[in-house]
Amino acid sequence: MHVNPLSGRKRPATALCAICAAVLLSLSACGSSKKDTSSDSGGSAKSSDTSSGGGSSSSSTTASKCGLGNNKPASGTPVKLGAIVTKQPGTDFTDITGGAKAYFDCVNANGGINGRPVSYLVETEQTDPGQIASLAKKLAETEKVVAIVGNISLIECSVDHKYWEAKGYMEIDAGIAPECWSTPNSAPVNMGPRYSSDGAVQTLIRKGVKKIAFIQSNVPGTGYIKAGPEIVAKAAGVPITTLTANVPVQDANSVAIKAVQAAGPGGGVVLNFTPPEALKILQGAQRQGLQNQVKWGCSTPCNTDFLAKALGSAWNGKLFVNAELAVTDDPGPDSTLYRNIISKYAPKIPLGSFSQMGFIQARIVTDALMKVKGPITVKTANDAIAAVKNFKTDILCKPFYYGQAPLHIPNNTDLTTTPKDGKMVKDEDCFAISDAEPDIAKVRDIEKQQGAS
Amino acid sequence: VSALAFLGLPTWENFKPFIVTGLALGGVYAVSGVGMVVLYQTTGVLNLAFGAVGALGAFIAWEMINNTGLPTWVAILTCIGFGGVVTLTYGVIFGPPLAARDPLTKAVATLGLALILLGAMSWIWSDKARSLDLSTSNSGFEVNGLLVNWTQVIAMGFAVGLTIVTVIYLRYTRTGTAMRALADDREITATLGVPVRRVEASAWFVSGCVSGGAGLLLGNLVGLDAATLTFLVISSLAAALIARLNSVVVTLIAGLAVGLVNAMLAPILSVSEYRDMSPFIMATIALLWLSRKDIRVTGVR
Repeated sequence: MHVNPLSGRKRPATALCAICAAVLLSLSACGSSKKDTSSDSGGSAKSSDTSSGGGSSSSSTTASKCGLGNNKPASGTPVKLGAIVTKQPGTDFTDITGGAKAYFDCVNANGGINGRPVSYLVETEQTDPGQIASLAKKLAETEKVVAIVGNISLIECSVDHKYWEAKGYMEIDAGIAPECWSTPNSAPVNMGPRYSSDGAVQTLIRKGVKKIAFIQSNVPGTGYIKAGPEIVAKAAGVPITTLTANVPVQDANSVAIKAVQAAGPGGGVVLNFTPPEALKILQGAQRQGLQNQVKWGCSTPCNTDFLAKALGSAWNGKLFVNAELAVTDDPGPDSTLYRNIISKYAPKIPLGSFSQMGFIQARIVTDALMKVKGPITVKTANDAIAAVKNFKTDILCKPFYYGQAPLHIPNNTDLTTTPKDGKMVKDEDCFAISDAEPDIAKVRDIEKQQGAS
Repeated sequence: VSALAFLGLPTWENFKPFIVTGLALGGVYAVSGVGMVVLYQTTGVLNLAFGAVGALGAFIAWEMINNTGLPTWVAILTCIGFGGVVTLTYGVIFGPPLAARDPLTKAVATLGLALILLGAMSWIWSDKARSLDLSTSNSGFEVNGLLVNWTQVIAMGFAVGLTIVTVIYLRYTRTGTAMRALADDREITATLGVPVRRVEASAWFVSGCVSGGAGLLLGNLVGLDAATLTFLVISSLAAALIARLNSVVVTLIAGLAVGLVNAMLAPILSVSEYRDMSPFIMATIALLWLSRKDIRVTGVR
């Protein structure tokens, strides 16, 4: 039935809808750019005592300390540190800088860096190279930050790595773009989507899958990422099909069915998506009764209790997530401190890989800066960061190091987690990412030469 | 099957599961499209905030289910009611001053509401993984080896039911007759003594309730994500456009077709990543076909 079969009113329906749709689509590129600052003392001192961190997989339940751990608010001239983070619809990495900020707040409440508080400047970007380049200049030249810590961006490493090299900054970051792991002035605490996807593929191969379907979001850089799983699967003699899905995923059920069909009977599906998008696909699979038809794997973003809780018990032991960092309820001293400070200084941030990455970066940089004798300048700060070696923490499988090298992949050993009743629990102990990957092989040689690990 | 294989396409067995997902999603596109068409015909407003209103309603329902301990049915009714109240409020406040403006201005004005609601959702709930669980998704039945859950059945049933009810309502009730009269000519209808504001308000409210229901279904079928639910209105818009914004029955058929075609393209790997364009390609083809007489008369300039 036509509501208005004889209407004489003229409505430019086609033009109207086309224009409105275009406007709506353009909204997806919008986002806010805001700056968080943290230079306050962050309240009272930590509840934990002062036993030192270090030692992997310690069974201690005593937390490490924040900075000096003296329970006295820091005063004096702030030590300025900076970060650039992607925050846009569908991609929000601010939990990482949030985790770092929480640690710095705790440091400020516990004597700061040898008495000086940290002022942590976080700039958000929306995948605009011009914007990202100008934010780097702003941090280095206007704000005069002494170090860059906590960067996490889809393209920041690609845009800024030469600038940081020219200015003498040794970034400690969480990488995404290939340049984060392939340039001399960037050392990520994570291994990134490519090597993490490799790890998930290795896990499913160990679990006996006959074929892998690797599916990831259809965004720039997918060619670089998928090359890793292809190399690893080929080295293991397992066939692999790579797929992409547009994000935000609008038809998760179809995406899940497509991936399962590509994997085939006895196969495995590996997802490389942000947690909300991965959740949609996993729930789509669950609605179609597909969670038992193949084995499911996921790169590290899925390693969050938030996702495990949303999935519920239906996925207990059916999803294997590559975890670049320890499970959040690990009893080690750094993990205990991490939980304490997130609870106290950033209660809205969920426990998970992202906030862990921020926390551990902030801890490494704080530890390095506390060793600086004399004024903390860009040179002294970054010399101290470059000198980081054998930094032990229960959050990483291997001690962290920086050093002078043409590329840095200090985190190249990780573990596997699986959801259990709303929490991510350890499924598999630390294992090495395959050195079928050419850069992993190079880094292992560098580690041997420098005695770095 | 051999013909499909010869063309390098997936087999029929591969296509089959996508029929159910496509029809379910198409059902919600149709529901949204019908709500938009009725509102457009009655008020002249193309409500681009339709998706955002439904999304916010779904987030409120999620909050109630997960953090207040209230029964799910209360959350569902709240979501639907919220959609009605927010849309009605917008219509009552902004409808009259914008009544004399052209349709494009009215449509763009609703973008303001969409932006406010989208911003509110991002601010309140952040961009974290959430799951809007409905018990109807946990059970279902098999048809010819295909698993169908009750939420998918509800989505399709809601679309068909809403269309039938709308057709009957518009034809046999006083308010429905008034809505059709408004669609023909607002000024003449007003001079005949029809309470225009009241009729329009009822259209705003009902359309809003439909957006709440659609948001709830999409929140479960697609995922609880503010941006996704807000922008899914675009596929519904394509369905409404195929119906030239004036037929609820054609909107129903177009919505189901949009969902079905979109899903059926998923297993064809060569075009799969471009399938989000399919609603607009379908709308363009439909509009060119429907306008063929006009094109013949005026020629192409």
